[in-house]
Formats: sequence, C-alpha cells, structure tokens
Amino acid sequence: MSTVHVPSTIKITVQRYRPELDDKPWQQAFEVPYHFDLSVLESLNYIKDNLDSSLSFRWSCRMAICGSCGFMINGVPKLGCKTFLRDYLEQGHITIAALDNFPIEKDLVADISGFVEKLETVKPYLIRKQEKPLSEGEYLQTPAEVARYKQFSQCINCGLCYAACPQFGRNPEFLGPAALALAYRYNKDSRDQGSSERMPFLNSEQGVWSCTFVGYCSEVCPKHVDPAAAINQGKLDSTLDYGLNLIGMAGGK
Amino acid sequence: MNRKPYQQPQAATWWFKNHFYRFYMLREASSVPVFLYAVWLLLGLFRLNQGALEFNAWLALNTSGVGQILHLVVIAAALLHAYTWFQLTPKILVLRFGNFRVPDEWVMGGHYVTWVLVTIGMLWLAITG
Repeated sequence: MSTVHVPSTIKITVQRYRPELDDKPWQQAFEVPYHFDLSVLESLNYIKDNLDSSLSFRWSCRMAICGSCGFMINGVPKLGCKTFLRDYLEQGHITIAALDNFPIEKDLVADISGFVEKLETVKPYLIRKQEKPLSEGEYLQTPAEVARYKQFSQCINCGLCYAACPQFGRNPEFLGPAALALAYRYNKDSRDQGSSERMPFLNSEQGVWSCTFVGYCSEVCPKHVDPAAAINQGKLDSTLDYGLNLIGMAGGK
Repeated sequence: MNRKPYQQPQAATWWFKNHFYRFYMLREASSVPVFLYAVWLLLGLFRLNQGALEFNAWLALNTSGVGQILHLVVIAAALLHAYTWFQLTPKILVLRFGNFRVPDEWVMGGHYVTWVLVTIGMLWLAITG
C-alpha cells in the first residue's frame, strides 16, 4: 500500500446557487479539518456551523437509509453520509455539487419533486382484484416468491440513479430508473394483482423503452437495487404484454 | 413563494465525462461497423447474382489492403459488441428453479460456450465444405 501524506485539513469546493442573487451556480472553496472517519456530509455540516451558515443542503439520517444527502461528489452521484474524506486523499480535493439532471433549488438542494411524482405514477402499492377478508389471515409468500422482488424493494429514493441517467438528462419526462424499478418490484410480487394497471406506464414512450441500458444507474446505486436490470427485464414483460394484448389476454389497452 | 430553480443543461459532451459513459458510447458505436458490414455482405450477394466477373471484382475488393484493414476494424467491433452483449445478458435472463437462481456466470458462460461451438461448426463447414 502506498503511503499518503495525511493532512490536517482538506480543500472542499462547494457549488453555490442563491436563487435570489445568482443567475447560475458558482464555486466556493473551503478548507475543512481532515480526519480519516469524517464523511462528506459531516464536513458540509462543519462548513455550515463554522464557515458559512448560508450554505443549504439536504440531509437527515446520516446512515444511508433516508436517501436525502445525494450529491455529485467529484462528478459522481454519491450519498454524502456514505462517502468519506479519506477516499479523496490522493486526489487532494473534493468538489461537491447538486445532483445532475435535476433543477437546483438552492446550493446543493436538487428539486426532486418531479421524481417523487414519477414514483407515485406507477402505483407502488399492492393492488388486489378482491381483498381477502381479515379472518382469512395474511397473504403468505414463500422465500422463492420474496426473492423475485426483494432486491428491487431496497430503494431509498435518493435519486442518484436519475443523476446518473443520461436519458433522464435528455428527457425529464422519462419515468427513470427508480420509478420503473419500483413498478417492476410490485409487478413481481406474488401478492399483487395490479400489473395490468402499471403496464401502460411501462409500455409508454416515457417507460422502459426510453432506456438504452447505459447501466450507470446500477453502478451508482448505494443499495445495490440494480434498476437497469429491473428496467430491462421490464422490457421483456412489456413485449409479452404487447403480444398478449394483441389477442386480448392481458387486460390492458 | 418566489422560486427560481436553476435548470441544469445537458452538455453535448456529457458522454465524455467519465469512463463508464465513454465505454457505453463505444459499445453503441460498435454496432455501426457491424451494420455496414451486413450491408456489404448483401452487396456481395447482389454481385454474385450479377455474374462471375462482378462477384470476383467484389472479392478482390475484400482482399485488397484497405479491404483487409476494414475487416480488422469490423471484427474488432463485432467482438466488442458480442462481449458487451454477453456481459449484459445475465441482468435480463434470470432463471429460477424453486429457490435456486442460476448464477450470472453460468448464463454468461453458456453464451460463450455456444459462441465457441457455433464458430467451430462454421469453420468446419467453411474448411471442409
């Protein structure tokens, strides 16, 4: 292992955008204390507490489960809480910006409202044709049935995959990796009977067929959901659905 | 509330930004030489239909210096295209038997084995036929 000089401080360049003052984002450099166990999120909090209290960024849990602190860190979409200063010692500097492809509300705060609407669009809940009465108990699943969707249910809605997706960058109407993976997750759930309600979204111009399998979404996903796999397996379903609908067997339009 | 969100433009050079995007573009671009070669082979069939003279002229173009270099480019593109295709296949071809999920390596390996067998078969046909 090569030895790296351990500094007492590290330079962090932060993207600033103050909607009331600025027409476009600019860069501001800060010198922050370095420690091997400091995360990027903690260093942002250091800046806000000690150097410039006007800096805005979103965060909550500090443990990679709330999905709030997604930033572009040296150009790569990452969670601030899960990214450590020590991994940038050799590069010597860290640049933090708001997530790519989203509108910037202020500084590092990306406007993800469109993304949240897309999540709702695909009906991400169990749909039953007829609910079983409570007296009959819960809907049971075998481990094999759980395995079919479990990976795709680990999404924390952080939006890193949207920042990684050039197709979403081109076309903000594209439903995108997380929403399509979520739709797939419910379609594959043995308790669900609502796939005919979700397929029109998957089949549409803004659905799975806008994906060109760049695959960077799966690369940056902090929870290993692999949305690219879900979308492209969804293409198979979409093709089958099209074929079945031709002979009127899938309940779609 | 007065909002003024900044719309981030996507630069035409977005794919230059990192290795992942560059390799993606190379992967997609490799289909162009493969497509052109398919057209070229069709043209050969057309020439064959026209007569021996025309077909031999087409064959001579293939074995010329430039023809050989272009063939190397096409085979490189075809190999890259096949490699990236096989890399992605396990993401889509998920085979489950009860609690057992066929490992990605098996799916990929099956494609490579089939590829080698088909290639040997074609070579055998070309040499003996």
